[in-house]
Amino acid sequence: MEIIKGKTNIDFIGKRRIAIWISSVINLAIVIGIATVGFNFGVDFAGGTLVEVKFAQSTNTEKVREGAKAGGLNEPQVQAIGSAEENSFVLRLGGTTQLTDVSEKAAEAAIRGAADVVTLSKDLENGLINFRVKAKVDPATLKAAVEKSGTGVKEVRELGETNGNFDYQIVSAGMADKVTQALKTGMAGSQFEVRRVDYVGPQIGRQLRNQGVSALVLAMFAILLYVAFRFDLKFGPGALVAMLHDVIMVAGYFLVSRREFNLTSIAVLLTILGYSINDTIVIYDRIREEMVKYKGKPLAEIINIAVNDTLSRTILTSGVTALSLIGLLVFGVGEIFDFAAAMLVGIVVGTYSSVYIASPLVIWLDEREHQNDGAAGKPISSGV
Amino acid sequence: MDRSWYTRLTLILVVTFGTLWLLVPTYYSFAVLDKADRNNIKKLAAVLPPWSPPAKYRLSLGLDLQGGIHMVMRVDTRTALTKRAERRALQMVSWVSGKKNLGEVTQTTDLDKLLVTLTAKDPATMDAIEKEVLGSFDDFSKESRNGGQLVLKLKDTQIEYYMNDAVDQAMLVIRKRIDKWGVAEVDVRRLGNDSIQISLPGQQDPEQAKELIGTTAQLEFRVLDENPEIFKTTFETTPPPEGSGIALGTADLDGSSPARPFLEGTDREAMVNYLKGKAPEGKQILLHCVEGDKGKKCQRYYTFLVNKDVPLTGENLTNAEASRDTNTNKVQVNFQFDAQGGKDLEELTSKNVNKRMAIVLDDNVVMAPTIQEKIGGGSGRITMGRSNDLQQAQMLSLALKAGALPAPVTPGEIRQVGASLGEELIHKGVLAVLLGLALVVVFMAIYYRVSGLVANVALVLNGLLILAGLAAFSATLTLPGIAGFVLTLGIAVDANVLINERIREEVRMGKSARASVDQGYDRAFWTIFDAHVTTLIAGFILWKTGTGPVQGFATSLIIGIIASLFTSIVVTRLITTWLVHGRNATTVSV
Repeated sequence: MEIIKGKTNIDFIGKRRIAIWISSVINLAIVIGIATVGFNFGVDFAGGTLVEVKFAQSTNTEKVREGAKAGGLNEPQVQAIGSAEENSFVLRLGGTTQLTDVSEKAAEAAIRGAADVVTLSKDLENGLINFRVKAKVDPATLKAAVEKSGTGVKEVRELGETNGNFDYQIVSAGMADKVTQALKTGMAGSQFEVRRVDYVGPQIGRQLRNQGVSALVLAMFAILLYVAFRFDLKFGPGALVAMLHDVIMVAGYFLVSRREFNLTSIAVLLTILGYSINDTIVIYDRIREEMVKYKGKPLAEIINIAVNDTLSRTILTSGVTALSLIGLLVFGVGEIFDFAAAMLVGIVVGTYSSVYIASPLVIWLDEREHQNDGAAGKPISSGV
Repeated sequence: MDRSWYTRLTLILVVTFGTLWLLVPTYYSFAVLDKADRNNIKKLAAVLPPWSPPAKYRLSLGLDLQGGIHMVMRVDTRTALTKRAERRALQMVSWVSGKKNLGEVTQTTDLDKLLVTLTAKDPATMDAIEKEVLGSFDDFSKESRNGGQLVLKLKDTQIEYYMNDAVDQAMLVIRKRIDKWGVAEVDVRRLGNDSIQISLPGQQDPEQAKELIGTTAQLEFRVLDENPEIFKTTFETTPPPEGSGIALGTADLDGSSPARPFLEGTDREAMVNYLKGKAPEGKQILLHCVEGDKGKKCQRYYTFLVNKDVPLTGENLTNAEASRDTNTNKVQVNFQFDAQGGKDLEELTSKNVNKRMAIVLDDNVVMAPTIQEKIGGGSGRITMGRSNDLQQAQMLSLALKAGALPAPVTPGEIRQVGASLGEELIHKGVLAVLLGLALVVVFMAIYYRVSGLVANVALVLNGLLILAGLAAFSATLTLPGIAGFVLTLGIAVDANVLINERIREEVRMGKSARASVDQGYDRAFWTIFDAHVTTLIAGFILWKTGTGPVQGFATSLIIGIIASLFTSIVVTRLITTWLVHGRNATTVSV
């Protein structure tokens, strides 16, 4: 069986200008979109609390949102996951602790009311209040006072004596406890099970985001080094641009679909990097081979032959990888579905960019080089 | 068939059987053991046949698939640091006033920049003060001097040391608490400069997990009962249950004082159960853990009988530091108490000279040194028995500080997955893999006929190799790991598509079956190699920078890529060569 019978002779190179134009416009739009609208960052990167609950009774997103609000949650994001019969929902909240800009003033007043405070500082990111008082206070009293003001307290820590004064630290309770509480009161009568809790502090979130970005840059650089080492330097820019193109396109998928951008998304982007170059290399390899075979022919023609010769395998390799992802698309929920869908986008654009972006760029560089030499049209030497 | 073909055949057979052999512990842990015992290495080792690889080398499920809690705790090193700087400043003031000829100073501490400003009452004495203070407080360096005002800065090396110390302390406390739970598989490790990562597979109760860091460690000083005959009589009258491994010991732990009976065992839970309610009135039985290499896990436990009342707690301790005495070359831990603590310590030590004092951290006896003499003035030292015990001393000083100078710990990241969700994900994950695999296998068989079937054989072997590879690294299978597994299967088939397409091209050019196969493989080799290496680069970077589930994905990807190189280039080539050369075929079914 064959998908493409015999030899094709499609003029890919002739259409390179249109392709590059369209790609550039889409890429630019995505980059602008990322800068202005931004990703829908998951708790991994934005920090916050995510709670997945499964109800025993049938219910819907709207009811869960209303219930959570009635229970005292401030603007929860509610999203149904899986099919409707599963009654599973994800609730997302910005904060990670119950000490928020709404409750901090009341908490401070409560402490000042309960003890003779010398100094006091708050760390909202970590939900901590550090303070120094003149005389020892009973931690239980402090805890009761702060809880009464509306901030749940996990612990009152006694940090010991300094200079005749006493240091305390109040650690506010996590948001997840509040979610369960809110659902219990707001949706009285319904039974639910907490299936998953993700809680990422803002510092860790930032750290993870920075790590993700540096991993991408590092991977691109390392792959480029390898390509430069295995191929002619002339192939480097084409490979790099194709990689960037594919990564931006997949990022565009997350941007447009508003699916959560999280650690798994970074994993997808990195895999796409590897895959994109994979496809490009198959064609580059052939171009290099044909350059030896057809010494004297113009490069554009050689590339066209190479792309046409490898067309069926380019389509097949992408197709087979896409085929293996179908299972994940059918049975995957949440992050894994996103993983498979984004991979699929990556495979399609990766294949496209190898043909229409990576290969023409080699010609473009070659033409420029020869213009400088003043010897246009001369075939380039093969670089192995 | 030439000789090299047989060599390769042998290699492939060895790899295939090795793969199956490596999967034996994994098979037993899933198919033979109860689900509840899956994480229990001891039970797995008991059911494994003698020829199997050790139980350690098995594929276990990640936290997201079996349920459990993953936590990253941030140690508030900043608070720990400022508290220490403040304490050192106060120590300087009292140290200066303790020296007769230096006069008096006052101090202010800039907590942001970690600067201590000393102001002399009489500016004339400042020269002498500067010299003496800098000589004795060598963790500070001089920042500036303006007449009677001296500004000191905490040295950078010292800042680093204090921060490290704070994290070590927190880890010590967490380890001790986890040990008390008796959870089978816990992983506690340091993450970066100021974080600690804790994995508790199967753990479901987040409230209990919060206990780990919820409260400040309780440090107590208690007097030891010097006549613990109770252990001997209990052991003789009501012997411990069979198989509990609890034994009676009599040799003294230090070897320095007369032998006293004690009980020892390896199973904390069994010991606690056995000793429940056995302590005499006014006494309490506590355990001491003998740590394994690198302070990792408890190897054995000893019992101690201590008085129930607590004459002194860590609340009054101000500092502790391990050091080596330059004169005697013995390792010691110096400690200091505040005024109230100093008084209590004096009373405690004067009444109990030659007795032993148990240093108890969270109900675990860290050490029980003998009180040599009355300790007045609030500061004393504990001398270690042997001179090479620096590590022990550091552990002790950390334990003391954990109770005295708590480094606040806050949760940076908590991920908790319920067991029911995990089960559902496994179910869906397996279905996803099977569907993807089935589609690919059917497609290959239809499209490439015999060559497709050959590729399918390689594909199945590739899947097994990935699982065996993960098992060999004692890796965990996570949901992203399953995604990585599926993706690598796709990539492995890719390689065979490249080869088969190449062979077709050669056939089309009119070459013989043999030549087409040989050239197809030869020409496709470098393409496949380059493509795999670049993906491998991305995989390694993902593995190096990723944490948790993402690392699971990277591990699957890396092992899968290496396995794919082997199966597509070596395995399929061997079979195809046999089909064409060995049977002298004139056509190749591709």
